[in-house]
Amino acid sequence: MGKVIGMASTCLIASNFVLAQTDSTKRLKEVPVTATPAPKVQSLTPAQQLTRKDFARYSAFNIADAVRSFAGVNVKDYGGIGGLKTISVRSLGTNHTAVLFDGVQINDAQTGQIDLSKFNLNNVEEITLYNGQPDNLLQPARAFASASVLSIKTIRPDLTPGKPYQVQVGVKGGSFGLINPYLQWQQHINHNWQLVLNSNYIGANGRYKYKVDGDASDTLAIRRNGNVQSLQTDVALYYSKTDSNKFNIHLNYYNAKRGLPGPVVFYSELPGQHLNNNDLFVQAGYQHIWKNSLKLLLSSKLSQLKTRYLDSPYFNTKGYILENYKQREAYQSAALSYAITNAWEVSYAVDASYTTVDAYIDKYAYPARFTLLNVLASSFKLGKLQLQGNLLHTNIHESVQKGTAFQQKAVLSPTLVATVQPFSSPNFKLRAFYKNAFRAPTLDELYYYAAVKRVIKPEFVYQYDLGTTYSKNLNGFLEYIVLTADAYYNNVHNKILAVPSRNPAVFSFSNLGKVDIKGLDVGFRSQTRLYKGWQASLNINYTYQYAVDVSDPTAATYKQQIPYTPKNTFALNAGVNYHDLGIYFNQVLSAGRYYTGTNQPEYLVPGYALSDASAVYKFISGKTPVTTSLEVSNLFNKNYSIIRSYPMPGRSYRLSFQITI
Amino acid sequence: MKQFQLKTIFAAATILAVLSACKKDKVNITEVPQTGVYILSQGNIGKNNSVLSFYNSITKNTTGDIFSSVNGRGIGDTGNDARIYGSKMYITVNYSSTLEIVDAKTAKSIKQIKMDNAGTNRQPRYVVFDKNKAYISSYDGTVAVLDTASLTIEKYISVGRNPEQMVVSNGKIYVANSGGLDFANPDKTVSVINIATGAEIKKIDLATTNPVNIAADAYGDVYVISYGTDYPAHPKLTTINNTTDVVKTTVDIDAGYGTSFIVVGDLAYYLSDAGKVKVYNVKTETIANEGFITDATAIKVPYAITADPTTGEVFVTDAVDYTNNGKLYVFNKTGKLEYEVTTGINPGAIVILK
Repeated sequence: MGKVIGMASTCLIASNFVLAQTDSTKRLKEVPVTATPAPKVQSLTPAQQLTRKDFARYSAFNIADAVRSFAGVNVKDYGGIGGLKTISVRSLGTNHTAVLFDGVQINDAQTGQIDLSKFNLNNVEEITLYNGQPDNLLQPARAFASASVLSIKTIRPDLTPGKPYQVQVGVKGGSFGLINPYLQWQQHINHNWQLVLNSNYIGANGRYKYKVDGDASDTLAIRRNGNVQSLQTDVALYYSKTDSNKFNIHLNYYNAKRGLPGPVVFYSELPGQHLNNNDLFVQAGYQHIWKNSLKLLLSSKLSQLKTRYLDSPYFNTKGYILENYKQREAYQSAALSYAITNAWEVSYAVDASYTTVDAYIDKYAYPARFTLLNVLASSFKLGKLQLQGNLLHTNIHESVQKGTAFQQKAVLSPTLVATVQPFSSPNFKLRAFYKNAFRAPTLDELYYYAAVKRVIKPEFVYQYDLGTTYSKNLNGFLEYIVLTADAYYNNVHNKILAVPSRNPAVFSFSNLGKVDIKGLDVGFRSQTRLYKGWQASLNINYTYQYAVDVSDPTAATYKQQIPYTPKNTFALNAGVNYHDLGIYFNQVLSAGRYYTGTNQPEYLVPGYALSDASAVYKFISGKTPVTTSLEVSNLFNKNYSIIRSYPMPGRSYRLSFQITI
Repeated sequence: MKQFQLKTIFAAATILAVLSACKKDKVNITEVPQTGVYILSQGNIGKNNSVLSFYNSITKNTTGDIFSSVNGRGIGDTGNDARIYGSKMYITVNYSSTLEIVDAKTAKSIKQIKMDNAGTNRQPRYVVFDKNKAYISSYDGTVAVLDTASLTIEKYISVGRNPEQMVVSNGKIYVANSGGLDFANPDKTVSVINIATGAEIKKIDLATTNPVNIAADAYGDVYVISYGTDYPAHPKLTTINNTTDVVKTTVDIDAGYGTSFIVVGDLAYYLSDAGKVKVYNVKTETIANEGFITDATAIKVPYAITADPTTGEVFVTDAVDYTNNGKLYVFNKTGKLEYEVTTGINPGAIVILK
């Protein structure tokens, strides 16, 4: 049996369309269902995953809450329900993590950062973070093009003609004046077509109390202007004729009005700013598998992101700053894979995207960026050794209506991945990868108020990883244990840095930075055997990051830890289930971080210990399955902040109630 | 299992205790200021990390943030200007929108005045004094009049857009109206306030937009440096006659953005973007010295300048990279470095305490 698990462990899948390797899937069915097998450990590149049932265990409301316990992850959170939340993986900037929504990247060419607070968890089936890249060969080229990948997969309908629909209605509410009703409608249309509709509304005044440190005040202040009103709707249609012929299409709409409370400034309450988002995208995927194992994956996306930003009052002639941005993208990907032998598979993917940004600001360049990605990949199994490699070719062509366009020669980026089972037992494996990735400067870095012409080169990242995985099914008190440990070295060249100037109208960017990052990610997971309705689970992640600036040996920042990068972080999640009741405890510890490039004590943002607790209870009322939960975040009401001057909320509560019809 | 969890939590708590032990307490020797230099560093906007450092010229010790050491609280967000008048020092704190009045010899706060207008921050910038009144320019387009005996604001005088530096000359206050918050369309005027009536009597039109720095000499001239909207800037030095309040001349000047123009007798000191200290003779109206610094001291990001009229020393700050601690360099009258002091982030104002 152990061997079967070992085979199955390689098949953690990346894209919605991508099937696991067929031989593994077949064998998986042989596993007796009396015990839960150890969670799949991806043996190629490191991967961490949370599924729908885990979200309440982590008291997670949005995707940012869910991923902050992952090893190697640093979530930058500006606080509150509408505060910006971005992910940084292994001390690399947020632009180096691609966020995939059902296999297709959510791109923001303007800022390069994806605000994870925008993504509600109600329609999410699973979230997976891959260091390097997903280990599937059949996927869009964009999935190969970033230093790490955060993959979000939505719930897919799985209905039969006997029960042609399923409706879930729920509401979450609690602190911050939160009210979050949501609906999920799954419909079996006919033998081939299924539909799923997800819609959720979030309304919150966003207020919370916080303590100001350093202004000698002894009362708590109230964070205002953090209100949120958002509506997100996603309609997806799924078609499948056979397993080898599948199509899906999503229509996704997001509208939000948010107050941005801004930094807490001593002796002052700033009016803050307002941000409106109006996003629409349609994405489609088609997969075909031929009998000779040739597979085709087509992915398409059209998107429009509209942003409106208001800063009022402001002491200019108008009395305010109002900026409108419109970002549009057309994207097409085609990927082919073919298994030459049982052990040797090759693939090719080509992605083309065309992005424009219109910023209605003074002297704007109105850029349009065309990106063409070509990737050749191959995987090879040789006994206990598995190898994978790919070569990505990136071509960017940019044009502008005013000024000078960014120019970049084609870039070749190689990746090599290897895993080996050194002993006869498949429980223990060694893995290693090398990945070269780069990011082009974002359109904001190039053109936003570019009073001075900016010459910016792409930022290159060289990643080296060496790790082990150990996974064992047990017969005693514990059902399984999974242990992973990865040591890594990342090297960043031409790091793009903002260069301020005394003249507020002139800020620029340049490639001054070099960063050396040495780190360690350790994970442990275990679960007890179910005994008289009782079951307990434990997940632990530990991260060490030594990330230092090595740009200029004469600068005060030389060999100093880069800003907002804790050296040590620790996350623990423990839970006990008794029949349909689950009680969970989540703990995150973070060492202090410096908000400046020099590590002086006056610029330290202190470390914190944050605890969350939650309880989930499921029952049947009449014939209706009901799920209720209570989540308490920051259980011990600690004052802390992740970003200097952006205090995080104290203890907060969330109650939820959901019925399934 | 349960015991294991408790152990783990305990271990976690221990790790945290160790981690938090790494948080170093500030080692701050609080000097009693007698004679020396205050340096007000702005910090970064939104970081509440403005600090007032003090270098004691007798003990040669520096107190990193004497304001917080003495008062148990931070000075706030973006301290912009500091000046001594009588026994008190007046500090404008831009984003906190406060005026801190401290004892000049101890840095002990005497009064904190909130500068707001029905809840909207006025954003105070600079302060000048005349006949027991302090005049404070604010970005909301006003100059506040504060009585230095009662420490209360008596009135607000409306001037141009986003006023910056001011100078008192011939019974009038000249205010540089920058309009700098309209990036594409700055102001281009100097407001003239009659001190006796406390009202703006004239707006002098300049040839170049975005005037920021202003000074006056003993020969009836007011000097204004304007930066325009070109990048790189082509700053202009405008001379105004303080009797007729008309523009006399406008010439090019190699002035770094926002440099003060420090008039000491017949000489005026200012900074260039290249990190040079330049000297202008206000009597002959010619450049007296293109490079005051005579040793190898290199200033990366010239930020603030002042001069000591009695010793001839020149004080220059270096913001280095705008995001980390800066430096104060003190040169003797021959342009040789005497000593340097580490400051906070963006050291924008230097005050000599005698």
